[in-house]
Amino acid sequence: MSADPAGRAAALPRLGARAATRRAGPRRPWVAIGVFLGPTLLLYFAFAIYPVLVTFYNSVHTLRMDLGMVYEFVGLEHFREILTSDEVFWKAAANSLTWGLVAPIVDIPLALGLALVLHARVPFARFFRTVWFTPVLMSYPVVGVIWLWVYNYDWGMANLVLRAVGLGSHAQAWLASPTTALPALILVTTWMFAGFNMVVLLAAIHAIPGDYLDAARVDGAGAARRTIHVLVPLLRPTLVNLAILDFIGKMKQFALVWVMTRGGPMWGTETVATYVVKRAFEWKTLDLGYPSAVAVLWFVIIFGLSYVFMRLLQRREALEF
Amino acid sequence: MRGRAGRWLLLIPVVAYSVFSAGPYVWTAMMSLRTTDEIYRSHYGLPIPAHWEKYHRAWTEFGYATYFRNSAIVTVAAVALVTVLGAMAAFVFARRRYAFPGREPLFLLVFLSIMFPPQIMLLALFQILVQYKLFNTLTGLVLVYVATELPLTIYLLRAFFAQIPTELEEAARIDGCGDWRLFWRVMLPMALPAVATTVILNFIYFWNEFLYAVVFITRQQSRTLPLAIQFLVSDQYFDIGMLATGLMIATLPVLVLYLFLSEWFVKGMTAGAIKG
Repeated sequence: MSADPAGRAAALPRLGARAATRRAGPRRPWVAIGVFLGPTLLLYFAFAIYPVLVTFYNSVHTLRMDLGMVYEFVGLEHFREILTSDEVFWKAAANSLTWGLVAPIVDIPLALGLALVLHARVPFARFFRTVWFTPVLMSYPVVGVIWLWVYNYDWGMANLVLRAVGLGSHAQAWLASPTTALPALILVTTWMFAGFNMVVLLAAIHAIPGDYLDAARVDGAGAARRTIHVLVPLLRPTLVNLAILDFIGKMKQFALVWVMTRGGPMWGTETVATYVVKRAFEWKTLDLGYPSAVAVLWFVIIFGLSYVFMRLLQRREALEF
Repeated sequence: MRGRAGRWLLLIPVVAYSVFSAGPYVWTAMMSLRTTDEIYRSHYGLPIPAHWEKYHRAWTEFGYATYFRNSAIVTVAAVALVTVLGAMAAFVFARRRYAFPGREPLFLLVFLSIMFPPQIMLLALFQILVQYKLFNTLTGLVLVYVATELPLTIYLLRAFFAQIPTELEEAARIDGCGDWRLFWRVMLPMALPAVATTVILNFIYFWNEFLYAVVFITRQQSRTLPLAIQFLVSDQYFDIGMLATGLMIATLPVLVLYLFLSEWFVKGMTAGAIKG
């Protein structure tokens, strides 16, 4: 290979690119860009970006709804109060964080197990996939009401099953005790999302080239070892993504709590999201500034923790390869 | 994978999980066809005889016609808007021809906002809607829904538009297509599979949305289905039968579509997995 043709070949696209940018420069279709992008930008800035900025602005003010929405600057006073003397916030934060950490630990392995079982060509796999996926299609209020019934002390499914298998002494009003209410709600979100996570994992399994598993089979690895040492490591990026999304989703959980327990009993299921809404519209403080500060703080915490988890889990991944 | 026996043995955990997964909603579906009296006599009886007239009663006597209509209006309007606006914007973000200065940072901003928790906008949106007399209106709800789902829609469609070869665009131009016709006649029809994915994803999200609805709608006549159910739980706590019928009415449109288009649903929902 002589240097000349290679050099000419490399020069050609560069020339072409330069010509193209020069051509595009003066004749950039601004009218078309405006027509296509204008309405979106208008809506997006008016109802997404602007509200975010307003929330940040509100967080350093008090804004009394009963006093004609007059802004009064208070600096970082709300944040000081939240962090030093707001016990409800700390309770809500602990609940949300528990939910955010426990849910992925339960949900993702369960979903992986389900995906592996279906992948092992269980009979009627398509039927089971359809059945398991269904809960995620329902709205939180619908799911909430159904599970209020499941947890009913007298005739709910949960206690029915316990009594049927001879554990009737453990039957209880699951949502009435501060110690069992939060785990009971976490189980509901697991029920809702396990099938969904399973489907995502199943798609990821199907996307793995068969060669990897065949190579392991040739090396004499049994089904179990192929799964643990080949399949699961290859699924790691998907597992990490799902876990982080699960974490974020649970950290902002609102609807299920609102319908099932309203944060009770004794703040036992209060989440930061329900606290923000309560503090804004149900408490007698009638101040939009303070709950905005809670929202800002929680936003920063969610993003910060997601970033940390992403870095941690990805680095471990890099080490293993 | 060890022969047939092994595969059938796996059915044990699979069936066990299916009972856990399907039990609650199958139970609810059965209760939706039974009267509350029948349910209190036996909570797990089969719906024999099936009281289909309960659906009619829920629709006419318990206001589900209104709630259903509100949900339908909001969902259809928001899906239509977010699809058209999102596709047009995605087209500009995807194609080289429209690469204006600042386009990439703008797209990055849109992309990052996919994961914004709604709380960071909620109270300010409340203020804005009150200020512009959009509080308690379906229009206000639609505008908020469109704005919150635009980022994900743009993100998904942009990836698709970017894959369409430039030759196609050039050929259309030589045939005399302007930007407008190029988009509507050539690009959008090609992107239909991706568009269908976002339509399904957004349809489910809007139909089921609760947080914004609960804060922005306080008038009974403007309630959407998820909102109505939350109120009916407290109003008719003991009329379990009718409530079960209502739950089914709120869920059936999605379930029926899911039965016919289950592959598309799975595709759409998992494409949205980025949002969680």
